[in-house]
Amino acid sequence: MSTLIVVDQAPYGSWTGREALDMTLSLAAFDQPAALLFTGAGVNWLRTGQAPEHVGQKSAEKNLSAAPIFGVEELLACSESCQRYGLDDANMIGGINQVASTAETMNRYHQVVFAG
Amino acid sequence: MPTTLSYTLVITGAPWASQAPQTALNVAQELINANHRIDRVFLYGEGIHLASALSTPPSDEKHWPRAWSEFLTEHSIPAVACVASALRRGLVDEAEQARYELPASNLRAPFEIAGLGEWVEGSIQSDRVLYFHGSA
Amino acid sequence: MNEQHEHTPTLHILNKAPKHPRFAACLGTLGAEDVLVLSENAVLGLADQQSRLPDGCLALEADLAARGLNESFQKQAISYADLVKLTEQHSRIISW
Repeated sequence: MSTLIVVDQAPYGSWTGREALDMTLSLAAFDQPAALLFTGAGVNWLRTGQAPEHVGQKSAEKNLSAAPIFGVEELLACSESCQRYGLDDANMIGGINQVASTAETMNRYHQVVFAG
Repeated sequence: MPTTLSYTLVITGAPWASQAPQTALNVAQELINANHRIDRVFLYGEGIHLASALSTPPSDEKHWPRAWSEFLTEHSIPAVACVASALRRGLVDEAEQARYELPASNLRAPFEIAGLGEWVEGSIQSDRVLYFHGSA
Repeated sequence: MNEQHEHTPTLHILNKAPKHPRFAACLGTLGAEDVLVLSENAVLGLADQQSRLPDGCLALEADLAARGLNESFQKQAISYADLVKLTEQHSRIISW
């Protein structure tokens, strides 16, 4: 039974996105099928060139890029939100599948979970 | 004959910053009234503050950590505060106090500190998983 | 990996105020057979002229009463016990 973890909050201003990533990696560590969907302001987690050390935080970029290796099935992003925030293949981390409809995407998963 | 279902409750909103602990407690009480089983209560993110032994609200306000610990104890429901969420926010048990040489510990019984594996287990084993988030 | 399933009737529990992005996101995923329960700040959606809520949407009575909305929206009001019943009836539940 596959779980979709949804990140709709922007990075660095709050910790919910990090907590969502931890949940996703935990599911993968226990061999539970899991995917991550970034939507709304949450797509900003996916931008390359983040330097959060400037605000005393760790980058999630490496963890996100490594997520498939840890067993996370898919990294998904709402294409409308990506467009809104000026994200495209040139400035997004690799391995992201853009989806036209987050509603349709959510409805493909039995469990849809927010970290906060 | 109504079936007994098993539930995991996840609380990510803090008391006095959200209604999450209150809504969750009301739902939990009705789950027990309806003869369901609560497998576990899991505190995550800001929800860990519900497990503080040091919260001291005014006497004429509802004491959420105490209300929860009484409910959990009365019904023997396992309850966990996620270690990663708890430590950084200053919620520690005696073991962590010793490990990090901290001046005090403040985990309220019967909560225990454990990892996200407890949540994963709940999401596998329980019939239903309900989340109580803050609303910011 | 694709799980093919017709849309399982889903219980949505939404606690965000109408302007929160998750409010609209939740409404956007509702299927015809789904049940929406408004809790906490989301009950304001009933009072909000600009919210487009589905017919049959429900709201926690305690949250309506807290906000002085109980009389206006008695028809939609449900108890925590009713909410528990709804969780029994739905194998798919999304807490927004």
